[in-house]
Amino acid sequence: MSEPILSIRNLVKTYPNGTQALKDVSFDVKRGEFLVIIGLSGSGKSTLLRCVNRLHHPTSGQIIYRPKEGSESDIAQAEGAEILKIRRKMGMIFQHFNLIPRHSVMDNVLYGALGSTPTVKSVMGLFSDEDEKRALDYLRLVGIEDKAYFRAAQLSGGQQQRVAIARALTQAPDVLLADEPVASLDPATCHVVMDYLRKVNQELGLTIVCNLHFLSLVRQYATRVVALKGGKLVYEGSPSEINDSWFAQIYGEGAKEVHIN
Amino acid sequence: MSQGSSNVSSETGAAVRRSILDGVVFAYLAFTLLAILGLEESELVNRVPQFAMMFLGLSIVGGVVSLALNAKGIKTLGWQIYAPPHLRMKSAEELATPIYKSFWGVQTIVLVAVTTAVGIKTTEIDIFKLLEVDRFNHAMRLFAQLFAPDWSILPKAIVKVVETIYIAFIATVIAVPIAFVLSFLMARNIMGGSKIGFAVYAILRTVFNISRSIEPVLWAIIFSIWASFGPFAGMLALLVHSVASLAKQYSEIVEGIEDGPVEGIESTGASRLQVVWFAVVPQVVLPYISYTVYRWDTNVRMATILGLVGGGGIGAMLMEYFGQAMWPQVGCIIFVIASVVWLMDAFSSHIRAAIK
Ligand SMILES: Nc1ncnc2c1ncn2[C@@H]1O[C@H](COP(=O)(O)OP(=O)(O)OP(=O)(O)O)[C@@H](O)[C@H]1O
Ligand SMILES: [Mg+2]
Repeated sequence: MSEPILSIRNLVKTYPNGTQALKDVSFDVKRGEFLVIIGLSGSGKSTLLRCVNRLHHPTSGQIIYRPKEGSESDIAQAEGAEILKIRRKMGMIFQHFNLIPRHSVMDNVLYGALGSTPTVKSVMGLFSDEDEKRALDYLRLVGIEDKAYFRAAQLSGGQQQRVAIARALTQAPDVLLADEPVASLDPATCHVVMDYLRKVNQELGLTIVCNLHFLSLVRQYATRVVALKGGKLVYEGSPSEINDSWFAQIYGEGAKEVHIN
Repeated sequence: MSQGSSNVSSETGAAVRRSILDGVVFAYLAFTLLAILGLEESELVNRVPQFAMMFLGLSIVGGVVSLALNAKGIKTLGWQIYAPPHLRMKSAEELATPIYKSFWGVQTIVLVAVTTAVGIKTTEIDIFKLLEVDRFNHAMRLFAQLFAPDWSILPKAIVKVVETIYIAFIATVIAVPIAFVLSFLMARNIMGGSKIGFAVYAILRTVFNISRSIEPVLWAIIFSIWASFGPFAGMLALLVHSVASLAKQYSEIVEGIEDGPVEGIESTGASRLQVVWFAVVPQVVLPYISYTVYRWDTNVRMATILGLVGGGGIGAMLMEYFGQAMWPQVGCIIFVIASVVWLMDAFSSHIRAAIK
């Protein structure tokens, strides 16, 4: 058994306004898995992902990151330029895609290379040939190379999310964080995007940590599941083991599962 | 618990504010009454400290009266303005009373009426002056000459108005890059992250708020001494004012941007400057252009005024003929200015509509 790529230990996040979003959360992310985080709205899922790539800063606890077997560092302790390096290694996609709508699809994908391009060069639009080639490759991987020179705003939601995946891949990340990647898409498109995420997971071997709302999707795509409730970890296991009593515990008594297909 | 204590402190704060307001209103009314009863301006000027003390005293009396009235449930103007929201609920009886019968209604009406009366006296409004035969005829002769412009100076006026347009253009063009850089340093969402950043933000805000509150005409007077009379002085005056105005308008646009793209670019490991350039700038470019065109248009109008006080261009020319009471020539210049202002206005609203 190889070592986990991420080990989250006693993670606590308290926002400046006093909200305790994470209370002593610990779990591992295994190399190459498709881990899904579930939990009610406000349970701390987004906060957790944003602590891992340091868009937010943990209050206490450790996030041990092992890029390779045998080397490790604590993401929670990173400062200054180290934080930027960690973000490069943790690609992220968002519920609302977060592209630059007025810029071309190709440019948006290239922005994944910003972290590895000197600021002055990037501002003049000078990305390396290799970056351009990789950007195009990833556009092809998510099946929208024919839209490369459209403005991002001209694409449908599902297509925009695929551009966002390509942008994250261009970062050459070790982990892909996905914060409710299909929550603003219709059910059919939702599967298209989830299928691409699975493809990235299986073909490129990229570790994925994904927040999801629908249990039917969780059962279909996750290799492992953790559940948060009120900022605490309440479940860790395989998706098939989430039965009615677990469901009631995670989502509260009286909650009912809805299915989308 | 904490909710309750914050309610108490907000109520105290509101009570202090409303008694100050009611107090000052009371002192103002009492004072004005005094002035109407025949206080000479010279008396007022000679005894400023005494009157200031008196005003303060009257304010305190008014403030105490206000507290007493509000405690008895008679709602004053101060209460209407400063009462915390959870005390705003009106009783059915209050809702049924017409405004002019309520205490604060009467207070407001008296305040407006007294101010209007004093205002009319101070402005020396005198309709009959306009109707005196001599004055009236004189004005009519002047109009007749203005409306018979002397077109022989038209070529010179056009040259001068073009000069004004260029003055305004250069002031705008130099102001834009300066304001562009400043706008990010003056935006809270960009600078709020660190202590140093916030200090820069606060200092720049203050400096530019002050420089913006100095009218361009004053800048023109300063620069016409420093850089001698002429277009250069006018341009400098416009430049200072444009940088201050544009930086403020631009920074407000920056503060209104969407967070999503910023987060998206940040998540790639981009540097701070890259985040600004790739996530913020694309969101602000169009509104920036729109404001810039409008600023140029405004600057043309302002440059005309600045010419009157030594800023060169068509304004200076207008001043020259005006000083010699050469009305037909003045008429021609006014025609040229009006045409250009109208054209610039149409042009700028056309561009702004096009880039929306
Ligand atoms: N920037 C912030 N400042 C203060 N409190 C915040 C901030 N962001 C989130 N919170 C609070 O932290 C808690 C966890 O929020 P978080 O967004 O992580 O939940 P979530 O599980 O992602 O919910 P959702 O499913 O609605 O996205 C909530 O109570 C939320 O109000
Ligand atoms: Mg969330």
